[in-house]
Amino acid sequence: MAGQGPARRRRASRVHPVRLTVLTVICLLLSGLAGAAAYFFPVVVAGVGQTGQTVVVPPSSSAGRASPTPSAPPGGPFTVLLLGSDDDSKFKSDHVLTQSMILVRVEPATKHVTMLSIPRDLWVPLSTGGSAKVDAAYSYGGAAAAIATVERNFHVHIDEYAWIGLKGLIKLIDRLGGIDIFVTNPVLDDFYPNDIDVKYIYGYKRVAVLPGAQHLNGATALEYVRSRHNDINGDFGRSARQQQVLLAIKAKTSTLTAADLPDIVDALKGEFKTSMGLDRVRSLLGVAAAFDLANVKQVVLYACPSGCYTSYSNGAQYGGQSVVVPHWNQILPVVKANFP
Amino acid sequence: MIARRIAAILFLPMMFAFGSGVYLYLGTMKSKVVKERAQLPTVTKPRFVLPGTVLVVQEGRLFKLNAGSFTEIGPPGAWSQPALTPDHTKLIAVSRSGFYSDLYLLDLDGHVIKRLTKNDARIIDANHWVFYPHVSPDGATLTYSLDSPKYGFQVDLAVWSMPLNGTQAQARRRTTPNGHTGGDVSPIPLAGGGLLFVRHSIDPSTAAYSQIYYQSRPLAVPTPLTSEADDCSQPALSPDGTQLAMICTGGKQTAKVEVAPFTGSALGPAKVLLDGRLYAAPAWSPDGKALAYFAPAGAAGHFQLWYLALPDLAPSASASASATPSAGATPSVRASPSPAPTPPVPIQVTQGVDLSATSPPAWF
Repeated sequence: MAGQGPARRRRASRVHPVRLTVLTVICLLLSGLAGAAAYFFPVVVAGVGQTGQTVVVPPSSSAGRASPTPSAPPGGPFTVLLLGSDDDSKFKSDHVLTQSMILVRVEPATKHVTMLSIPRDLWVPLSTGGSAKVDAAYSYGGAAAAIATVERNFHVHIDEYAWIGLKGLIKLIDRLGGIDIFVTNPVLDDFYPNDIDVKYIYGYKRVAVLPGAQHLNGATALEYVRSRHNDINGDFGRSARQQQVLLAIKAKTSTLTAADLPDIVDALKGEFKTSMGLDRVRSLLGVAAAFDLANVKQVVLYACPSGCYTSYSNGAQYGGQSVVVPHWNQILPVVKANFP
Repeated sequence: MIARRIAAILFLPMMFAFGSGVYLYLGTMKSKVVKERAQLPTVTKPRFVLPGTVLVVQEGRLFKLNAGSFTEIGPPGAWSQPALTPDHTKLIAVSRSGFYSDLYLLDLDGHVIKRLTKNDARIIDANHWVFYPHVSPDGATLTYSLDSPKYGFQVDLAVWSMPLNGTQAQARRRTTPNGHTGGDVSPIPLAGGGLLFVRHSIDPSTAAYSQIYYQSRPLAVPTPLTSEADDCSQPALSPDGTQLAMICTGGKQTAKVEVAPFTGSALGPAKVLLDGRLYAAPAWSPDGKALAYFAPAGAAGHFQLWYLALPDLAPSASASASATPSAGATPSVRASPSPAPTPPVPIQVTQGVDLSATSPPAWF
């Protein structure tokens, strides 16, 4: 017995080559997974924190539906309300105005996209009560109020929403390496809000974006989509430019890979929220990559130039505010045709 | 037991290294489009040697491309839109600051000779923008776009002229732009006192158009040479004044490079040389046999300089070639463009840079 002890110990201390190989593979797999997990950790955190936002939309008489928002069937057409907001520092957190509201209907089967810009100054009954410019809905009741207000007034069903802040747009475009745009006309503005990364956020600055094809960085792209004072169509002209930039961003994002996600998430940190879950975001990215810009329909509810009643709206003064009065008899058929 | 411990100790750094390797490897899998950053022209080697010298701009810095290599010229600043004097001995360039821009006269090595305009002011909206300098064929007059007059929110560029050797106080306005459209840009003074320029208009449906106009004398009612639907801009007149290169989009987000015969006051049928990309800022070679222009190369979208040897551009019967402006001629909107019979093949000149596509190349 005494002589068998050391022999057993020698056998026991020798590791079988197969076991060693299996152990090595497992260890490498684990360490590889750990490396990948570390790489995508910001995406997971953002996925948990910024996507899948619960929205409880109160039922309404005209477009009522039970809460929470029911999702469109997988693979079926769905409608997203895109919201873009002013700099948060002018307002209390989550009580910002939405400078940009764009309804986007995506039809994955036919690869068609329809974008309809809602004028920010449109005077409508809010879901939270009373009437105001539509851009105030979000400030009174967050995404739920914005969705409910749009649904009730435009008689559409909104499946999802996505909100982005101005800084988020700048960072996103910069992380994408800029976007290519054909600027249709000089965009000059002597009263452009100087509220990004400055101490005094109520100042103004002059901007000039020259016409022609060019590569825009985030800051210039924001000037292009945000300026409205010298546009003969005011907010309507700006809406058209916003759609143009959205398409340019879409063109650039179609070149992204999964490995770009942490950078994109970092760019949008605190500047992006959506009701879409990670699954839908992932499928939407896949669908976006397959879309042809020729299959994108753009609708702007432009105003009448001088008091006629054949356009979608007209300007007016309510309580000292410049507002846009909707011509629902013109708007609703267009909405119904494009957002069935 | 000791061997196992040693193996385990060796395994840990190996696992750490492998995990880090995976992390770093994923970083290399990022889209090349996003990763691609523009380089300074001076550290790049052009792919094609252009004849002559070309001045271009990247991020506010002036560069001279000659014999296949770049040299930076000019003092630090935010420079753009270099334009040569007709004798090719000096250049005018725009220097842009936060709230205003000014024109400067520089020598060809970029030394400032003279500040030509003074557009800064203490009150923000009393500042002015000046862009698109162009010297008349006789070298006497400087024409440019200036955002004056302004009315409250209305800020539109109008075409102005001043003596090149004079002062801004002698400047006179030549055009009255459409209000709240951004205004009139890209002026080209002609030998007989006429003017080509681009006017913008926006209709209530928010569609914006640019048209190339001819104006016989200052403040005269100009005549459109191109239609709204063609949406043409960025005109460049050939050295002999008989051909006009331009960018036309047809209201789309892609562009065509077109060339049409020019009589001095009217355009003939245009030929489409290139179609389907974001082309910008065509400029003629000194001998008038080629064009340089900007267009993105690759999906990153950085604008590179391209060269296009021109096919036979003999003017058709409908538009006789004449460099002399004819005062009695009736300008008319040109006929629809026709595709060139043998499409010329563009050659990419620069690589890895991101040139300013709103600063046309100055080629001499």
